[in-house]
Amino acid sequence: MERRGRHLRGPLALGTVAAVASGLLLAGCGSSSAGSDPNRRQTITFWDNNGGPDRTPLWKGLIANFEAANPKITVKYVGIPAASVQQKYDTAVTGGGTPDVAGATTSYLGGLIAQKALVPLDDRVSQAGMTGKLVTSFADSVRKVSADGKLYEVPTSGNLDVLWYRTDLFQKAGLKPPASWDDFFTDVPRLTEAAKNQYGFTIRGGSGAIFQLLTEMYSYSGITSFFDSSGKSTINDPRNVELISKIAALYKKDTPTADVNNDFVKMVAQFDGGSIAIMHHNLGSASNNVKALGAAKVAAVPLPVAANGVHTVVPNPVDGLVIFSASKHKDAAWRFIQFVTQKSANSTWNQKVGQIPANTEVSGESWLQSQQPVRDALKVIQDSGTVSVQAPFYLPEFSAITKTEMGPLFQKVLLGTLSAQRFADTFAAKMTQAQAKYVKRVGG
Amino acid sequence: MTQPRIKRPRLKRSTLTQARNRPEVLIPLALYLLFTLVPFYWMLVFAFRPTGSTTILPTRPTLEHFRTVWTGLGFGVFFRNSLLVGLATLLVVSVFALSGGYALARYAFAGRKIFMLALLCTQFIPGAMMLIPLFEVFRHLRLINNLWALVLAETTFQLPLALILMSGFIRNIPIDLEEAAWVDGCSRLRGFLAVVLPLLRPALVAVGSFAFIGSWNNFLFALMFMSEQSKFTIPVGLSYTLGEFGVDFGALAAGGVVAAVPVVLVFAVVQRYLVTGLSAGAVKG
Repeated sequence: MERRGRHLRGPLALGTVAAVASGLLLAGCGSSSAGSDPNRRQTITFWDNNGGPDRTPLWKGLIANFEAANPKITVKYVGIPAASVQQKYDTAVTGGGTPDVAGATTSYLGGLIAQKALVPLDDRVSQAGMTGKLVTSFADSVRKVSADGKLYEVPTSGNLDVLWYRTDLFQKAGLKPPASWDDFFTDVPRLTEAAKNQYGFTIRGGSGAIFQLLTEMYSYSGITSFFDSSGKSTINDPRNVELISKIAALYKKDTPTADVNNDFVKMVAQFDGGSIAIMHHNLGSASNNVKALGAAKVAAVPLPVAANGVHTVVPNPVDGLVIFSASKHKDAAWRFIQFVTQKSANSTWNQKVGQIPANTEVSGESWLQSQQPVRDALKVIQDSGTVSVQAPFYLPEFSAITKTEMGPLFQKVLLGTLSAQRFADTFAAKMTQAQAKYVKRVGG
Repeated sequence: MTQPRIKRPRLKRSTLTQARNRPEVLIPLALYLLFTLVPFYWMLVFAFRPTGSTTILPTRPTLEHFRTVWTGLGFGVFFRNSLLVGLATLLVVSVFALSGGYALARYAFAGRKIFMLALLCTQFIPGAMMLIPLFEVFRHLRLINNLWALVLAETTFQLPLALILMSGFIRNIPIDLEEAAWVDGCSRLRGFLAVVLPLLRPALVAVGSFAFIGSWNNFLFALMFMSEQSKFTIPVGLSYTLGEFGVDFGALAAGGVVAAVPVVLVFAVVQRYLVTGLSAGAVKG
């Protein structure tokens, strides 16, 4: 018995040592609290809403510049993975433990405002003389998210849906980039050679499909609002339904069969793999596209103008910075926001990430001329003839309707088991109901 | 009269050995192995292939993606954190599973069956549901941003299954062995340490492996309970490569290799104990 007992002495001893060592190390990693005396050195915590290998080094560079210019303020950077950022923010708001300043987009800003987690920044923006320096449509997008119409986020970057296309394949087919939706629907079959595994277009049928479909629908129809004056959704307008039918008709004929499950990752991977001639995505995939295909083989054009001549654009969520209500260093947090949204920092940032700068002073920068997709997108945004059709991100149900409820139904449309009309009617009914509830709640 | 010769029966090869050499067994197994290994192969190709390359063989292997994740994303720190949390969880779960499992196996007390049922029921509670309550608890204990929060949360979720497995295994060891030790003058604890514990090695390996690997792979708690870059673990680091607008497949694959190596090593070392441990403990009520 004694002999058998010895068998485990070695492992047990090792285990004990490991436990003690782990305990000491874990305890050593405990948190420390910082003081909040304004006369002393202040430390603010900044959560980056899209941490990763591309953006983290850029933020760290900007933070270093800010700390050099503001020696009494230290910024603690925390990168949050983009896929889980909303859950992280909601948990921090509910449980306590929000940062001082953070990145956020208008897609989940409404939820944070509703929880009273953020402070309005209108007065600070106005006092800093920044009001006229923010791209109007971006600031409008932010204001429309909140029921009180206040600015809870200072925009840093905007994004726009574009048609990415293969210049070499267009040249080979003797085609010009699509200037109208008619061009688009004529070009796609001509660019398809299914036998060679080459397709004219790729549809986003999986995660994120609905928002992308909405941008196509309103660009095609030229309808300028998601709701009519009586609060009824315009989603099932005959022109929108026509676009859905036309897109669904491309499926499997001029697109890969796997498109029904495409999220943006698979869609971009297919395009970058070289088997697709046109892809509808936003400016965000620029670096991936150029890296994979080479700058000479890929370009982008904004979504075409509607047949009625109205250039409508459904803006993508606007990226920016917010200050949390629980922050004890709001002034320091504001100084940080001011620093990174000023011309030089905003220019550097957007040049590196390939997004549309939110500071109007950046529009004259030379780098914009060499980045064709961003330059054209900015032109569309700033064009007085462009009508911005704001997606109702302010509706608490918007995310669930577009992501959970309508996604599977759109897949049914692609597979031919649901008509475009029934899909649009169901979608419109849900949006109308959500809008009515919202209007009733805010007393509009 | 000659003694009748008794023919010695030929030793038959076991059914298992025969089965091993039959193509109808080998071919499906080989196909299954291929099916299992293809994703790993792709992970290695992406990890070692230069950015922009589309070859299916990493003919010009590069370590650029490993540099990106190790130094650029800080996987060195994440790796250390994951290792510390994994080892601490392993030890805490093993100690509590041993003591609790022994009590459940050897003592008859009122409500034991209900307690076992309750342990089983805890397996149906998703981690996300407990997020806010645990966050509140850890905040009051000042454990937010402390790796001990992860150890405690992991232990909370892994201990019930560990207790069930361990009690099943202990019940399988005849009490007579312990009684013999008591007759020889051992105390209950001494008897347990000298007689039962050495026989529990497969069970300890099974329970410990599950605790370590479960902790190693957990993303949700690490992201939610930690709010400092230096406290995140490997799964959080991996999710950095999945951006809002693009995915760095090379970095994702390299990070995947870094994350998979300890798990593969753990399984390589313990796999011979693991099957015994699981089969012995799992079927006992």
